[in-house]
Amino acid sequence: MRAVLAEADERSLIEAAQRDPRRFAELYEQNVDRVYAFVVSRIFDRDAAEDLTAEVFHQALANIGQFEWRGTPFIAWLLRIASNAIADRWKREGKYSPLPDGGLSETAALDGTERRMMLTQMIEELPADQKLVVMRRFIAQRSVREIAAEMNRSEGAVKQLQFRALQSLRSRMGEK
Amino acid sequence: MSPQSVYEQLDGAVEAMLLGIGGNGEPLDPSVTQLLGVADEVRCLPWPQFKQRLRIELQATAASLHSGDATSRARSMAVPRQPLRPAAQEQILPTLFGTGYGNYPIHRSSFMVSAVLHLVLGGIVLAAGIWIARHRQEVTQQVMYLIRTDQPLPYDGKGGGGGGNHDVMPASKGDLAMASDEPVAPPVIVLRKENPKLKAQQAVVRPPDIKMPQNVGDPLAAIFPPSNGAGANGGIGSGAGGGIGSGFGPGVGPGYGGGMGGGIYRVGGGVSPPLATYTPDPDYTEEARKSKHQGTVILWIVVGPDGRVWDIKLRRSLGMGLDEKAAEAVRKWRFQPGMKDGHPVAVQVNVEVNFRMY
Repeated sequence: MRAVLAEADERSLIEAAQRDPRRFAELYEQNVDRVYAFVVSRIFDRDAAEDLTAEVFHQALANIGQFEWRGTPFIAWLLRIASNAIADRWKREGKYSPLPDGGLSETAALDGTERRMMLTQMIEELPADQKLVVMRRFIAQRSVREIAAEMNRSEGAVKQLQFRALQSLRSRMGEK
Repeated sequence: MSPQSVYEQLDGAVEAMLLGIGGNGEPLDPSVTQLLGVADEVRCLPWPQFKQRLRIELQATAASLHSGDATSRARSMAVPRQPLRPAAQEQILPTLFGTGYGNYPIHRSSFMVSAVLHLVLGGIVLAAGIWIARHRQEVTQQVMYLIRTDQPLPYDGKGGGGGGNHDVMPASKGDLAMASDEPVAPPVIVLRKENPKLKAQQAVVRPPDIKMPQNVGDPLAAIFPPSNGAGANGGIGSGAGGGIGSGFGPGVGPGYGGGMGGGIYRVGGGVSPPLATYTPDPDYTEEARKSKHQGTVILWIVVGPDGRVWDIKLRRSLGMGLDEKAAEAVRKWRFQPGMKDGHPVAVQVNVEVNFRMY
């Protein structure tokens, strides 16, 4: 019943975006994490993943009028655009997929995507000091000393927060 | 292993991972190894600002798409779509008046822009043509005016002359004798004294610069055997006085006292002006062309009864060789002669020869 309702909601969002492109923002919010996770699980580079994710959503917005609802989730259409964008990028750069022949299996790829999506949400749920350490240390790639100065804490305390944050994330992923 | 040691070991491994370098080779605690896998996934998460920045970009794009749609919808409402159809045969250039063939929307503003552009282009072409015409370095036309003159003639129509030697035959045809203000010897056709002690050039009093004589005689006479004519006092013709013709005096033609018998007339008083029928343009001199010298040369000319220019005198000079060029050209001009009492007569006129660079 919930799936049917979600499908109806998504369809109405798509139709609304087709009538008024400004409504595309809602579709973006619903799918950006998954698209980014899909991309980064294939190219393993944050800057490139951000570029490709942006490219995917710009293409989707430009072609939203051509989307025909056939019961397939909207994310499948986005991921197909993402797959093409990744292939084009590799072709443009003269590179081959760093993945094994045939790429990741669909299951493995979806697992990686799902794990990264969950990870994003889990970071949001961490305690504030742990979340701050994770964001500064792994996203901004700051040193422990810089983070300690910023938080007015000792380096040891920052290292402890780093350990506990990763431990918490691992345990939560294990639970799901 | 103490908790602090585990924290230190984890941080060292994380630092090596972030820098993309290998570890120091020491075996890691199993808990640290498990957490490194999580850390590797976390470090590929996007910047927090990324999602917000991309959302703003998409909103801007969506807004522009929306305004574009609104514009196109408004256009489609203003100009209802019509099925393709051929242009009506009875319409003449419908696009000229903004109605179009109905195959696609026509915007009046487009026609306005097109009209303005065409006007501007036309103006440029016109201005270019005027500019080129004004800057040509070639003489394309000289304007000639015949003007009346009240200047006294050097040899006006009062005179005339005639002669003869009491011959039985009328004077024979020939050219006029040389011109001279004070002729010493009258012209003769039949010379009575073969070897005179004092030889003198035979001449008459007449305007100069008329063509040189070949065979002296009376130009108006018929062709006869050589004869000085029935006149008296020397000369040729039926008159007297050492001239040529029927007059009395050392001149030519009817009348008295020398000069051209019959006279050179001024325009007016029953004398019609000569009409130019052939007026080749004069050439510019190289010197005048280079200095862009322009102006008007005025020439006094006599147009004879034969329509040719008998005499030319300079009235107003322009210099730089243009006076000579003007005279050279005018000498080639041909006229329908001036008329008096239904007969062609010699008429004096002034002519203006304008030199203009176009």
